[in-house]
Amino acid sequence: MSRYTKEQVAKLADGKLDWDTTMRMLAMPKDNERFALFVEALQKKVSWDDKIVLPLGPHLYIAQNAKSKQWVTKCDCGHEFGDYRENWKLNAVVYVRDTEEAMTEVYPKLMAPDTAWQVYREYYCPSCGTMHDVEAPTPWYPVIHDFEPDIEAFYEEWVGLPVPEKAA
Amino acid sequence: MEVQTASRVEVMGIDAGGTMTDTFFVREDGRFVVGKAQSNPADESLAIFNSSEDALAHWARTVDQVYPELVTCVYSGTAMLNRVVQRKGLDVGLICNKGFEQVHSMGRAIQSYLGYALEDRIHLNTHRYDDPLVPLSRTRGVTERTDVQGEVVIPLREHEVRQATRELVEVGAQAIVICLLQSHKNEASEKRARDVCREELKALGVDLPVFASVDYYPSRKESHRMNTTVLEAYAAEPSRQTLKKVSDRFKKHGAKFDLRVMATHGGTISWKAKELARTIVSGPIGGVIGSKLLGETLGYENIACSDIGGTSFDMALITKGKFSIMSDPDMARLVLSLPLVAMDSVGAGAGSFVRIDPYSGGIKLGPDSAGYRVGTCWPESGLDTVSVSDCHVVLGYLNPDNFLGGAITLDVERARQHIKAQIADPLGLSVEDAAAGVIELLDLQLRDYLRANISAKGYNAADFVCFSYGGAGPVHTYGYTEGAGFKDVIVPAWAAGFSAFGCACADFEYRYDKSVDVAVPQHGSDDEKVAASQTIQTAWEELAAKVVEEFVINGFKPEDVILRPGYRMQYMGQLNDLEIDSPITGAATAADWDKMVEAYEETYSRVYASSARSPELGFSVTGAIMRGLVTVQKPSLPEDEEAGPTPPEDAHLGTRPFYRNKKWVDAVLWKMEALKPGNEITGPAIIESDATTFVVPDGFATRLDKHRLFHLREIQGK
Repeated sequence: MSRYTKEQVAKLADGKLDWDTTMRMLAMPKDNERFALFVEALQKKVSWDDKIVLPLGPHLYIAQNAKSKQWVTKCDCGHEFGDYRENWKLNAVVYVRDTEEAMTEVYPKLMAPDTAWQVYREYYCPSCGTMHDVEAPTPWYPVIHDFEPDIEAFYEEWVGLPVPEKAA
Repeated sequence: MEVQTASRVEVMGIDAGGTMTDTFFVREDGRFVVGKAQSNPADESLAIFNSSEDALAHWARTVDQVYPELVTCVYSGTAMLNRVVQRKGLDVGLICNKGFEQVHSMGRAIQSYLGYALEDRIHLNTHRYDDPLVPLSRTRGVTERTDVQGEVVIPLREHEVRQATRELVEVGAQAIVICLLQSHKNEASEKRARDVCREELKALGVDLPVFASVDYYPSRKESHRMNTTVLEAYAAEPSRQTLKKVSDRFKKHGAKFDLRVMATHGGTISWKAKELARTIVSGPIGGVIGSKLLGETLGYENIACSDIGGTSFDMALITKGKFSIMSDPDMARLVLSLPLVAMDSVGAGAGSFVRIDPYSGGIKLGPDSAGYRVGTCWPESGLDTVSVSDCHVVLGYLNPDNFLGGAITLDVERARQHIKAQIADPLGLSVEDAAAGVIELLDLQLRDYLRANISAKGYNAADFVCFSYGGAGPVHTYGYTEGAGFKDVIVPAWAAGFSAFGCACADFEYRYDKSVDVAVPQHGSDDEKVAASQTIQTAWEELAAKVVEEFVINGFKPEDVILRPGYRMQYMGQLNDLEIDSPITGAATAADWDKMVEAYEETYSRVYASSARSPELGFSVTGAIMRGLVTVQKPSLPEDEEAGPTPPEDAHLGTRPFYRNKKWVDAVLWKMEALKPGNEITGPAIIESDATTFVVPDGFATRLDKHRLFHLREIQGK
């Protein structure tokens, strides 16, 4: 089993880890303490004090509100999207690319999907404007709820850590 | 070693590796010495000098005495490979077909995972492209198109070549490579582009070398051809400077020989050779060449060559006295069109790391390794992951006080603690059983690999003699040959220097290849056969001119060169071809074609089976080959008087506890250098020398023959 230093994991979180170490991480079975180290590195990067429970994306987290102990979905900038069991996208700003003109902003002409078949839905943070997710569904498809993590099971059974406190 | 200055030292082999530079000297009477010194990437010539001093000290002689006596010297090294891997070559500019500028960077997609272990290949997220040898900023496309039949469809726009040349000079190119599509089929456009480029450079008053792919590697497969030509410009020229420095230092010490370099095709070439890119990989090839020479001397036609180093296990087969050649191998994560002695490698060696897989709970070896850092048993290594060497040390295989001749001292207790914490405790085993399990697993993997490689090619291990060499080879020989059923198992006393020895055995041989497309049906007309013969003859003549030119550069007369034509042939429509040594020296008539077909079918039935022959498909020749060689001095094998089966008293060093098959026994220690031909040693025994350790466990016995080769055999009633 390989072990990594806090510094290496912090570089991983920053996307600045050298390739040889990254390759070793990819190729070897995952080290047990990686999750704790990774969350620790992320915690240092965010401006708020709430405890990160689970990273959801490059700038999106499930965090424990320091005062209320409620678990909420939260942006880098501190904007909260509501309870972690709710689909955070419903509280985000959405931009839908459903015309050829909008598509040609991201792809060359004739190399984008036909918007009668497929559209792009981009979800942004209402406070800081960070793009958190892009969906590429058929136009009529409901907003996709990516997943509902079983955080208790993940902490207790997978990484063997105590589950952070959670207000009911 | 005995002091005897009467005999002349004739041959020197050099293996300049990443960490150690080995030299190998052979005397007229077949006696040899091996020298070692730390490599010095800044000045290789110095490391070679130090290594030579180290070797010659055994004979109480000096470089200044010996260099002038030497008849021949062959270099093999990793300097060029490192230059490529570390991307420290020249700033090359590339001219290709317009619209194909990205092809070099894309590396046929395969370059994103070349050199990976299987489990990493199948995971897309590990795939990664190395920086291209030539970046897009120094690549220019010119309008031109030649089709697959060699017809020029769009003529070369010469003004675009001039423009591209000016731009490449502007952005600082130090050399220009030109590679156009299908140039192996019709060289006209590419040669014209080359000449226009040279004219433009002249007009600019700039002196840059220009490399056109047809002048070097006229072979099909654009990525391979382009990479190889780029390599020539990128790394070969700087390497030539390195070799010149080595050669100059030799001259300074009175050397009269001309330095030769081991090349991928299994011959040696001069450091002045036009095509130097083919010296990129040479180390492991040396062992195969050495095995072939030993086989010829001892009368073995079929040999399984096996080489264990710290990081990998390399094997090659010699069948009917010949090794096989791959025509488009990959090296340094690049696809290349160079002829390479075919070898199979697996990333398991004496330095492989050992870990417990947290999911399966099994022992996992490698794929990474401690390399020169040995393992946790060397406290200065800075390592804390157990390696195979740690297991060897704990079980008494290796002498902790005589590793690399005592250059470093190993800490058995440190290794023990690491094995206990990382392997033994998690598995609920004793340290001994855990370490023994690791060794058994490695031996099993290597044995399966060796056997699979023999049987997969349709051969039977009982027809083969296994040669085992490399620094770590003799420690494992018994393990990976046990029960494999080889006719004989041979460990040369100079196992650690065997690659350097092999290099010294290689012919002075140039080899050039060219793709051709010739196809004749089974009952083709005489006219078709004559046309085919003529196409091949034209290619041979072209290649022969190049071969002779190389020898002339080195001061040989054209009539001294022995030319050996060859060709690659296949049944029409098949995917794989076979390389054939031509039964005729020149092709002109229908009868000549028939002879070539006959030789091919004969080889085909030997490699596969005669019932697998498919002459009804017709025959294609895919490549023409020309090899040229001149005779050179080769090392002769030592020949000593047999001294009877009982080893001399002074060879006996004592005993060491040795663990195998769940029990500790006292293994008898012998000093390899002091053993005499004819001596028989029955296991458990360990035969030690500075550079290698030969393990003969319970149930095995070995005999040293007059050529200083150990024959290892299994004995009954263990």
